[in-house]
Amino acid sequence: MQLNLFLDFINNSIKEINTDIEKLYSNKYNNMRKVLDHLNNEVLMLDNYINYFSNSNQLRISEPPELYISTIAQQVQPVINGMKTFTLEELAKYDGKDGNPAYVAVNGVVYDVTNNAAWAAATHFGLSAGKDLTNQFASCHAGANILNMLPKVGTLV
Amino acid sequence: MIGLSWEDLRCPYQENRSKTTASLVDRIKNDITNRRLQKKNLVWLELNGCSGNIISLLNGQNPDFQYLITQMTNFIYSNSLITAEGSNAIDQLFNVIGSDFILAIEGAVSLKDNGKYNIIGKKNGKAVTGLEAVNKLGEKASYVIAVGACASHGGVSAARPNPTECVGVQNILKRKVIKLPGCPCHPDWFMGTLAYILLYGEPPLDNRDRPLMFYSKTIHDRCPRRSYFDRGIFASKLGEETCMFKMGCRGPVTLIDCPVRQWNGHVNWPIGDDSPCIGCAQFGFPDAMEPFISYNITRGG
Repeated sequence: MQLNLFLDFINNSIKEINTDIEKLYSNKYNNMRKVLDHLNNEVLMLDNYINYFSNSNQLRISEPPELYISTIAQQVQPVINGMKTFTLEELAKYDGKDGNPAYVAVNGVVYDVTNNAAWAAATHFGLSAGKDLTNQFASCHAGANILNMLPKVGTLV
Repeated sequence: MIGLSWEDLRCPYQENRSKTTASLVDRIKNDITNRRLQKKNLVWLELNGCSGNIISLLNGQNPDFQYLITQMTNFIYSNSLITAEGSNAIDQLFNVIGSDFILAIEGAVSLKDNGKYNIIGKKNGKAVTGLEAVNKLGEKASYVIAVGACASHGGVSAARPNPTECVGVQNILKRKVIKLPGCPCHPDWFMGTLAYILLYGEPPLDNRDRPLMFYSKTIHDRCPRRSYFDRGIFASKLGEETCMFKMGCRGPVTLIDCPVRQWNGHVNWPIGDDSPCIGCAQFGFPDAMEPFISYNITRGG
């Protein structure tokens, strides 16, 4: 994973987190739970980006950050906001065919492309769903702010 | 209806778009008649391909092909249409070097074994390869236009397993090549680009050297069935008049103006006849646009 791409992801995450914090300070929200869930998600993503970057560049983080997992959130929802973890084998099932949704992984995050216009027939420029497409994404869309538009469904482990 | 005719309800933007080429050519007619503009030499090279682009061009209307070869340009050479034969024809082709000429190329450049799988003629008893012709003519032309998918990026000729190692013209030439991808190229895309060059020089291009006047919006952006997509109403088989996204329509990734221009004299186009777009005007066609049709794709989700 390239440094500039990584920095872009971090910047985006911080923007999202700031928006949530701003909402909480100003009381401008309809549902606090939704804001907190979103915040929680963003931190999870940020953590994923950092892990992914350090792994792919073989860097060691001296103290891996401990993720905050809300016990309250867990009581209500066993999986935070529907976020799942996927192995590559599990991801392969989500190929967009025969009733399965179409998922793809980029930088450790799993996205839903079932109804994304550029993914007709669960394929995109010769690539098919159900795969980790990190390298392919970096080679075509590096720096493009398009991942935020996709629904996130989980993380790749 | 309150005194409105069907014409009143048409979108002026769409109307305007479909007449881009005709209006450019009208201006040329005027400028050539008034001697403000001189005809330029045009060479049409056919390389590794099916010659579908010259056939498509013959189908052009308003302006038609006859107008192109008699009023707009001095049409020097076309393998399919030239009246000269054998070495006379090839001499006619290479004698253009030294004059001011525009080079249109259809078909890919075959590289295997130094290009010997695509022989375009004989000069002094020696076979002339497409590769050699592109090198010799390409550097000398005032403009190079790659017409169709094969010339633009390899297209069908370069599809797996690509036995003759075909590539697009840009892989051979270090200069700018204006690209008109499409399988085939619509007569309007070529005539419009040529007309623009004759009038004003190089047309505004995108970052992959496609003229913006034709290649600036996706099919999906202007699809008459877009509202079906937005509401999730998808066709499950050919012949259903809704959105064909779940069958693999490539409209969302294909930048071209088919929805407004249409084909065969501007009468219809694939989606208008309930068949998905196969992305023929997108780089990487056909391999990158496959599968062309699917029936087991998950709906909803």
